[in-house]
Amino acid sequence: MDNIPVRQHRTLTINILRHNPADGDSQPRLQAFEVDETDAMTLFIALNVIREEQDPTLTFDFVCRAGICGSCGMIINGRPGLACRTLTRDLPDEFTLLPLPGFELIADLSVNTGKWMRGMAERLETWVHASDLAGVDLDQMEQPMDPHLAEQIYELERCIECGCCIAACGTAQMRDDFVGAVGLNQVTRFRLDPRDQRDDSDFYQLVGDDSGVFGCMTLLGCEDMCPKDLPLATQIAFLRRRMVAV
Amino acid sequence: MSPIVTDVLVIGGGLAGQRAAIGARRRGLDVTVLSLVPAKRSHSAAAQGGMQASLGNCLGGAGDNEDLHFADTVRGSDWGADQDVVRMFAHMAPKAIRELAAWGVPWSRVQKGEHQITEDGQKKTIREADAAHGLITSRNFGGTAKWRACYVSDGTGHAMLYTMSNQAIAAGIPVHERMEAIALIHDGERCCGAVARNLMTGELQTYLARATCVASGGFGRIYRVSTNAVINEGLGAALALETGLARLGNMEAVQFHPTGIFPSGILVTEGCRGDGGLLLDGSGHRFMPDYEPEKRELASRDVVSRRMEEHIAAGHGASSRFGEHLWLDIRLLGRDHINSKLREVSEICHYFLGIDPAEELIPVRPAQHYSMGGIRTDRTGQCPSLSGLFAVGEAACWDMHGFNRLGGNSVAETVVAGMIVGETIADYCESDQGELTLSTALAADFQAREAARLRSIATNPGAEKAVELTRQMQQIMTDKVGIFRSAERLEEAVAGLLALQSRASRIGLSSARKGPNPELVAAYRLPRMLKLALCVACGALQRTESRGAHYRADYPQRNDQQWLQRTLTSWPEQDQEQPTIDYEPLDIMSMELPPGWRGYGARDFIAHPDSEARQAQIDALLAQAGPLDARQRQALLMPFEHFLPGIYRGRNQRLGDTDG
Amino acid sequence: MGAAALEPKPMRQKINRWPARLDVAQSLSGLLLVLFIWGHMFFESSILLGKDAMLWVTRMFEGAHLLGRPYPVLVSVAAALVLALVALHALLALRKFPANYRQYHRLNRHVSAMRHLDTTAWYIQVITGFALFFLASAHLLVVLLQPENIGPYASSDRVWSGRFWLLYGPLLLIVHLHAGIGIYRLCLKWGPFPAQRLGLWRGRIKLAAYCIVAFYLCLGTASLVTYMRIGAQHAPYAGERYAPEAVE
Repeated sequence: MDNIPVRQHRTLTINILRHNPADGDSQPRLQAFEVDETDAMTLFIALNVIREEQDPTLTFDFVCRAGICGSCGMIINGRPGLACRTLTRDLPDEFTLLPLPGFELIADLSVNTGKWMRGMAERLETWVHASDLAGVDLDQMEQPMDPHLAEQIYELERCIECGCCIAACGTAQMRDDFVGAVGLNQVTRFRLDPRDQRDDSDFYQLVGDDSGVFGCMTLLGCEDMCPKDLPLATQIAFLRRRMVAV
Repeated sequence: MSPIVTDVLVIGGGLAGQRAAIGARRRGLDVTVLSLVPAKRSHSAAAQGGMQASLGNCLGGAGDNEDLHFADTVRGSDWGADQDVVRMFAHMAPKAIRELAAWGVPWSRVQKGEHQITEDGQKKTIREADAAHGLITSRNFGGTAKWRACYVSDGTGHAMLYTMSNQAIAAGIPVHERMEAIALIHDGERCCGAVARNLMTGELQTYLARATCVASGGFGRIYRVSTNAVINEGLGAALALETGLARLGNMEAVQFHPTGIFPSGILVTEGCRGDGGLLLDGSGHRFMPDYEPEKRELASRDVVSRRMEEHIAAGHGASSRFGEHLWLDIRLLGRDHINSKLREVSEICHYFLGIDPAEELIPVRPAQHYSMGGIRTDRTGQCPSLSGLFAVGEAACWDMHGFNRLGGNSVAETVVAGMIVGETIADYCESDQGELTLSTALAADFQAREAARLRSIATNPGAEKAVELTRQMQQIMTDKVGIFRSAERLEEAVAGLLALQSRASRIGLSSARKGPNPELVAAYRLPRMLKLALCVACGALQRTESRGAHYRADYPQRNDQQWLQRTLTSWPEQDQEQPTIDYEPLDIMSMELPPGWRGYGARDFIAHPDSEARQAQIDALLAQAGPLDARQRQALLMPFEHFLPGIYRGRNQRLGDTDG
Repeated sequence: MGAAALEPKPMRQKINRWPARLDVAQSLSGLLLVLFIWGHMFFESSILLGKDAMLWVTRMFEGAHLLGRPYPVLVSVAAALVLALVALHALLALRKFPANYRQYHRLNRHVSAMRHLDTTAWYIQVITGFALFFLASAHLLVVLLQPENIGPYASSDRVWSGRFWLLYGPLLLIVHLHAGIGIYRLCLKWGPFPAQRLGLWRGRIKLAAYCIVAFYLCLGTASLVTYMRIGAQHAPYAGERYAPEAVE
C-alpha cells in the first residue's frame, strides 16, 4: 500500500460523452466534470463520485468492480479498457470517456453488450454439443481429461465478454455482422474441447465467411487491448488455418 | 404493456437461478429469467477459489466422502444448519460437479507424479497416483478435513457461470436482461409472478407465472466494505419480505471474508491460504498458529476473520494511510504457482495495488462477504408461507450454512440447490397446486400500485439524497453490525437505521428523465435495503449469544440451551417500523451430529442437555444395529434420501470403490 | 440438456469454400507480388553495378542468353502477368476496404482514436493500395506497351527526359510501405506462433519488416538517382540506345 507513490493531488478534468437516446431532445455531447483525485482512485471511484456529488443522472455500468465481470468496458482516452481497474494516476490531468462503439447505446457510458454477446453465442452456438448431455450418469466418475488440455481450455475460457476487442477491431467497427475476436476465440475454445462433438466442417458453417474468421484483417487491436491478455492473435491464426484446411 | 405469461419466472441470472431454470426447462416448462445485468456478469462469476465436492481424487482428498463433507459443513455452521439439507447437499455436490464437467467446465485435473506443495509454511513433495490422472483435482480450503475444493485455476465461478449460461442459451431460455423485479404479485396466499422495471427504458412490465423463483443473491451492499458486486443489494429477499407473508431466516448471520484487499474490499480467494499462503501481522509475524494451533490459517472464515480483527485490536496491525490492516503472504508459493493457479489474484494485485504478489505482501482485512440468511424455504426450496414462491442460492435460507458458511460451499450450493429446486418447481407446476387461474386484474392492480409508488418517489419534493443516505446506512452496518457486535452498538445501529428510514421518505430527485435513471433506482431501492439492514441489526441485537459469524462481545459463548434456534424475520404490516422476529427451534434429537466443539475456535459453549441425550441415543442405536457400512449407519441415524428428487438418489462412485 | 443441442442435426449443408479460397488467394497474390517487387528491386538496381550489368539483366529477361537474341515481348508477357496479379490482388483486397461513407467514417474515427500502430498500418495499406492500383498499373502498362524501351539509356531517358521520376519516386515509397506492412501482416495472419512467444515473434517480424523496407528504400533511391544522373547526362542524346563497349 505504502509503496504506491503519493503524488500531489490533482484536479482531474474528465470529459464524458452524455447522451440519452430515450429522450428525443438529447444530442450527444461531451460534458466536462472536475474531480479531486484521491489515493488509489480508479475510474469506478471517480465516476461514482461524479454521480454522487455532481450529476445523479450520469449512467454507467459496474458490477464486480474487480475486473472479473466485464461490465465496465469503455473508451478511455481513445482506447477500450475496463474502467474499474483503470487507476486515474495512470491518466493525464484531462481525459475523455466514451461508451464502447459497436454496441447499442443505453445512455452515457452504458452500452448493451449483453444483447450483442447473447446474439453472438446463439449464432456461434458457444456451448458443448454432445448428444448425451441430458443423459449423463451423474453417479459415475467423471471422464478423465489431460491436465494440460484442461488448462489450455481455461486459458481461452477466461474471456469476460467485455466487448473491448470489438471496440478495438477495425473490422468490427466497419461491419456490424463481424463476430470479432470474442466470437472466434470461443469457437477455438469449443473446438479444443474433446467434449464437444462438432468437427471442423461444423465450425466452418459457423465462421467460414467474411463475418467470421475470413473477415479478420489481423489489425491486432483485439490482441493488444484485451484486458484479460487472451492469446487472440494466435487463436485466430490457428482457426484460419484449420478453416482453410476443411 | 400486457403481462408476459410464463410457467416459471426466475428472478436472478446467476448460477442458482440458471440451473433451476434449466431444470424446469428440461421438464418441458416455459421459463423466463429476469436479470439486473447480462446473466454472465452475475456475481457468481466472482467466485474464485473452488467448489466443494467430496470427489477424493487427488492425494489431499483421498478418503473423502459425503460423511466428512457433511460433518465439516455442520461444524462450520456452528450447528445452525438444517442437517437434512446439509446431507442432501453433500450427497448432491459430486453429481453437480460431474454434470458441469460434462457440460464443459474445464476443471483443473490431477497430474500424476511428483509435485511440490506448500503446507504450514514448508515445502513438501507429494506424489499423485497414476489412477487419478486426469480426474478432477481439488485444493485445500478452510474448515475442511480434506482437500475438497474443486477448481478451475482461480476463475472457478467464471468458468461455471459461462458453462451454465451457455447451456441455458442452448436450452433456449430467454433472459430478460436489465429487468429488475420490483414487486411480487400475490393474492395473500399464492404468488403468481412479479412486476418488473426495465432499467433501460424505465417501463414497467408484469410477468404472470405459475411458479416464481427468487435467485437474486445476497445483500452485501448494505455494508460499506464488502467483497460483493455492486448489484448485490438483496432486492429479491426484500421483495419477499415486503409481501408480508414470506419470512427471512437467520438474517444476522453475515459472513466476513478474511482476505478482502485493503481498503477496497476486493476479494482475494481463500485458495491463497488453501495453497499454503500465510497471514502476517505488522511486524511480519505469522500469528494464526498462536490463536488456532489446530487449523491455523485454515480455520473457518468466521474464526479467522475474528482472530484477525482481534490481532489488529491488540495493536499488531500494519498501518497505512488508509488505516490498519494485515498481510497475506503468498510469495512462498512461487511465481509459477501464482501465475497458473492464482492468476486472477495476480491480476487483481497488479491492477488495484500495483504490486507483484510473487515478490510483495498483499494488504488484507476482513470484509463483508456472504449472507447466510435469506428467504426461508423448506428443504426443497419452497416458501412455506406463500405458495408458488421458491428461493434458491444465496437469496435463500433453506439453511445449509447455519451461522457460517465454509469457503467453496456457496458455488456448490448454487448448483446443487438449482438442481433440486428446478425439480421441485417442475413437480409443483405439474401438481394441482401449480395450476394458476390468471388474474390480469391482480396483475394490473400490482402494476398500478408500483407505478404510483414510483411516481410518488419521482415527484417527492424532499431534500434528502438517496446516495447519501445509502452511504450512511452502509457506514452504520460496517461500523456497528460488523464482526464484533454488542448490545450498545447494535442499539445505536437500529436507532440510526430507523432515523434513516424516516429520512428516506423525504428523498427528492433532481431529474425525472426518461430512460435509465440511476437516481430513481437508488431512491426506490434504499427503503428496501434499509428493511434488510434492520432485519440484520434487530436479529443481531436479540440474539444474545455468539454463533458462527454472529459474535456478541457481550455474550461470547455459543448458547445451545437458549439459542439453538433459527431466526425468522417478517414484515407483516407495511407501516411497521421494525421487523417482527420469531424463532424456530432446531431439534437436536433428530440430528445426525449433535452439537459439540467445532475443532477450532472457542471451546467453551453452553451445551443443551439434548446434545448428550442424542449422543447416547446414537451410540445405543449403533450398538444395537451391529456392524454397518457407512451408508447403512447414516440411514439409521438420519435418513434423508427420500427428500431428494428421484433422479438424484444414486450412490456416488469414487476412485477405488470396490463394488463399483 | 440443451433443447437445441438435442435436436437431430439438420442435414449438413454443403459448405461454401469460396470465402476460404478468396482469403488464401488474397494472401497468396500479395505474397507473390511482394516477392516479385523485392526481386525486381535487385534487377533494377543492377545499374548501380554499371550500365553493362544492367544491360545484361535486361537481355536476360528478354531471353537473349537462352534464345540467342532478345525478345522484348517476353517482358510484355511478364508485365501482363504481374498486372493481372495486381488486378486480382486489388479486387480481393477491395472487399475489405470501407464500402461506403459510413464505414469510412467509422474507420477513420477508430484509427485516429486508437493510436494503435497495427491498425494505423493497415490504414496506410488501404491508402497505399489505392494509390498503387494507379501508379503500379501505369508503370506496368508502360513496360507492357514498350518492352523494348528498357536498357541503361532507354530507362534513364524515360526517368529523366520522360519525367518518369515523378512517378517512380512516390511509387518506390508507396510500394515498399505496402509490401513491408503486408508481409508483416501476412506472417501474423497465418503464422503458427505459440501464444507465449507471439509477442517475441511479432517484435522480430516487425523489426525485420522495418529493416527490409529501409534497405529497399535506400537501394531504390540509389538506383533511381543513378538513372536520373545517367538520364541527365544522356539528355542531349535521348532516344539513343546504349551500346556496350566490350562487345561493339
